Amino acid sequence: MNILVLLLPALPIVSGGALIILRRAGPAIGLLVASATVLLAIWAAIQRPAMTIELFAGFESGLAVDGLSAVMVVTVSVVALAVLVFAAGEIRESTGRFFGLMLIFMGAMLVTVTATDLVLLLMAWEVMGAMSYALIGFWWRERDRVRSGTIAFVTTRAGDMGLYLAAGCAIAGSHSLNLTGLTATSSPWLDLVAAGLVAAALGKSAQLPFSFWLSRAMAGPSPVSALLHSATMVAAGAYLLLRTQSVLVATGWAATVVAWVGALTALLLGAVAFAQRDLKQLLAASTCAQIGFMVLAAGVSAIAGGAAHLVAHAAVKSLLFLGAGAWLTALGTEHLPELQGAARRYPLVGVTFGVGALALAGLPPLSLWVTKDMVLAAVGDPALHAVALAAAVLSAAYAAKALIAVWSPEAARRDGARIRLLERLPLPLLALLAATLGIIGLLFGGWTRLLNAAGPLPGAGELAASGVLALAVVMLVIGVRLRRRAELEAGAFLAGWLGLEPLAVAVVWQPLMVVAKALARFDDAVIDGVVRAVSRGGMAMARFARSPFETGVDGVVRGTAAMAGRLGKLARKPQTGQVHTYLAQATVAVALLAIVIMLVR
Amino acid sequence: MTGMTENPVDLLPELLILAGAVIGLLAGLFLPRGRQRWVGWICGIALVAALAATSVAALRPDTMAFEAYSVDLLTHVARATVIVANFLVLVLAAGWARGNSRETEVYVLFMLAALGTVILAGAGDLLVLVAAYLLASIPAYALAGFAKDEAGTEAALKYFLMGAFLGVLMLAGVTLLYGLAGTTAYQDFGPVRGGAAGLAVVLLLGGLLFKAGGVPAHFWVPDVTEGASRTVAAFVTTVPKIGAFVALFRLAVEVFAGLEIGWRPLIAIIAAATMTLGNLAAFHQDNVRRLLAYSTISQAGYLLVPIAMAGQSDLAEPALLFYVAAYAITNLGAFAVVLAVGEDRLAGYAGLARRSPGLVLALIVCLLGLVGTPPTAVFVGKVLVFAAAWDGGYAWLAVVAAINTVASVFYYLRWIRPAFQPGDAITVATRAARIVYVAAAVSLLLGVGSGVVLANAL
Repeated sequence: MNILVLLLPALPIVSGGALIILRRAGPAIGLLVASATVLLAIWAAIQRPAMTIELFAGFESGLAVDGLSAVMVVTVSVVALAVLVFAAGEIRESTGRFFGLMLIFMGAMLVTVTATDLVLLLMAWEVMGAMSYALIGFWWRERDRVRSGTIAFVTTRAGDMGLYLAAGCAIAGSHSLNLTGLTATSSPWLDLVAAGLVAAALGKSAQLPFSFWLSRAMAGPSPVSALLHSATMVAAGAYLLLRTQSVLVATGWAATVVAWVGALTALLLGAVAFAQRDLKQLLAASTCAQIGFMVLAAGVSAIAGGAAHLVAHAAVKSLLFLGAGAWLTALGTEHLPELQGAARRYPLVGVTFGVGALALAGLPPLSLWVTKDMVLAAVGDPALHAVALAAAVLSAAYAAKALIAVWSPEAARRDGARIRLLERLPLPLLALLAATLGIIGLLFGGWTRLLNAAGPLPGAGELAASGVLALAVVMLVIGVRLRRRAELEAGAFLAGWLGLEPLAVAVVWQPLMVVAKALARFDDAVIDGVVRAVSRGGMAMARFARSPFETGVDGVVRGTAAMAGRLGKLARKPQTGQVHTYLAQATVAVALLAIVIMLVR
Repeated sequence: MTGMTENPVDLLPELLILAGAVIGLLAGLFLPRGRQRWVGWICGIALVAALAATSVAALRPDTMAFEAYSVDLLTHVARATVIVANFLVLVLAAGWARGNSRETEVYVLFMLAALGTVILAGAGDLLVLVAAYLLASIPAYALAGFAKDEAGTEAALKYFLMGAFLGVLMLAGVTLLYGLAGTTAYQDFGPVRGGAAGLAVVLLLGGLLFKAGGVPAHFWVPDVTEGASRTVAAFVTTVPKIGAFVALFRLAVEVFAGLEIGWRPLIAIIAAATMTLGNLAAFHQDNVRRLLAYSTISQAGYLLVPIAMAGQSDLAEPALLFYVAAYAITNLGAFAVVLAVGEDRLAGYAGLARRSPGLVLALIVCLLGLVGTPPTAVFVGKVLVFAAAWDGGYAWLAVVAAINTVASVFYYLRWIRPAFQPGDAITVATRAARIVYVAAAVSLLLGVGSGVVLANAL
């Protein structure tokens, strides 16, 4: 079944490439391929195929589907299919390009989650980054969107450098790129490998301090956000940390760092989410926060919990983004105050969005309630636990804020477009998944068994307590919100994503530009100056040489030619055309020759 | 010499050429003017048969016929080269002589001159040499003045007077040698010493240098080449040389080598003088025929080098034979261009590249061949000549030859330049153009295949 693991990512990548070139029947082919990929993913999850190849001499590369990968490939393909169905309804222009890019994006994610070594992982990782750039800047005629894509790309790319560092240090430390063999890396290298992996994962997952790029990523079409925020891209970072959790543990420090970064991201970005007035921005910040829980899971070795949270969150977040996208197309706004009554106007979208929001809030018995508690159950450090719990409370708060915004009755009815059937089609399925994934997984210890990873399960008390807490927060927010119709506003600091982007610009970008400009000046003035000086010197020497020497050489040449000409004339002198001179000359010459032969011996 | 025979079959190629001439002459007497070209066919067939006979003879061991005629490698190559060259000349002549009341005579005279040349090359006796000299010369005088125009007549007269004068000197030399050695057969020459022998050699050289077009007997070359018909010019600057150089080489090996005199430096000096004078005089020539005439003089200089090295370097014989064959073909090709275009002034070749790029390409091949550029045949010949000079201890001669070669580039390329300039319409004679293509192709093939030729034949 080796071919299966190859076919799984190859099908979307190859057909996506073909779509970009051919630009025909984008939606039809896109949906067909995505459906086939879902079937392949399910089959692969059952078969668990594996294959190895040698990309570079001495380094074994490979693709394999194990427990974690099985969960990931199914999640990725199902969410991608749902998103593509929605997109088939929404995206009307350049469909070939859009669906082609989406398929490649999804294929790259499939390679990422099945790769068993750093080389293939790195390739897919980079392709995914490039596709995210192309998709965020999908409406490339608007410069602002392209700029957003560039910022997202450059930021994640900066984190990606860590993966190169990790690969290089892995070769240096253990002469192997295999993911499972990374723990065997010798001591100084192991820390560098872990640091590189963490940097790359935090960048890709938009954790602190990289979070701002996810805000920028909203510039893309809604289906792109739905896919990018759920099962691909940001999930890749969390996946990588879960996958290499043993390396983090082995260093002794990385796991702790990762756990704290995850928890703080969950807390701070939760606050950011609560402060947003824009639905998509709220959801984007909540993505960072929720991914923070997964990163926290990787830090505290709760593989099962982290993966479960990832899957459940993928379903929830794609559902929410698709709902927000549907309203955006229908009503032309994603501003919270302007979305009043949207849920009542479009009940199907409203109900499914509500399910998603409640799941996001962590309300029992919905999925994130369970999965979040699976993560929290593994957190030992009280301080960390407190931060994580606070983050959970915040998630209930921002979910409630989104919920109340769309369900509160509208002040005045406004016109809105119809939401197409294809756009509505995936929502119930995702809502179902969002609602049930957690509880089904919890029964029979399904997540741990599926992932083949042990981890503490939350006790009934914990579950009940967190459920009650979430419920209380939601009620509180709704109550406050209903009583006081004033805005629940936070400072510009939180609304502006903690000022991360200006900070990055000030701390990283501007110094970089200053250095670059200085180097450019050095290049222009010194290096180029030397080059120009050489040429100027050469010209000066040439001018100097021309006056005395060149004239001399030229004179020699001309002199030779003139002399040859004169000699030629001289040689033709005897050719008088008169026979008697010929005979006389011949006679003289023969006489001379006779003398010569007498003299020469 | 492996043996002596009195078998006429050994002279079959010569006899076939003679038969072609005689039968052609007789047939021409009875043929109407419109059908005289049959004579050309007869002569052509005779030449083909002679070439076949030469090939057969070359496979047999060397021999000495009638104690006066050597049948060896030198003769074989001379025969083959003369026959091929004469055949090409006949083709060229057919276009020129067609319809002339004396068409037959043209073919027959070419055949007889060629016969004289072949015998000159094979002569193993001084008396045969003199007879061959006359046979090779007299038809050529007639041909030079054949057109009966002013320039042709003057050329013929100059040619004849030079030839007669130097022929007399040559006869004097033969007489002197006979008196000194008591024999005229090369193989019987013993060691002879003294100033008289030297004088005899100089006198003998005079006649052969006349045929070869070397200094100091070169005066006729430019005048005849310019004055006579173009076909005749092509013939007299090509074919007689073959016989003259082979005869000189044979004399050097078989006669001069036995004489205790400084003939070798003498010929080396003549060679240097000839190539230098020819090259210098060719500078700034605006008349293509005179340019080619001086070019043939300089080529004669290079050809004299292996003769000076005869018996001293093993390379001398292959150098001479390869060079002489390559030179004959290439020089004929260059003259055929003049015939094809029908233009003597350099400026008259303007526009030729546009009119007939193939002809210009072939011209370039021939001219670069005369310069001695790889991969043409003359290049190989020149390399062999230089090597022979170096090998034989005459490094200065090799240097002089190399300098002359460089200098010669100048005037050969002067002919190519106008061909690429815009010019008036030019009519190209098809028949002559074909000869040019054949000559260029053979020159290239001989150059590329030189390794095979040198390894197997020479």
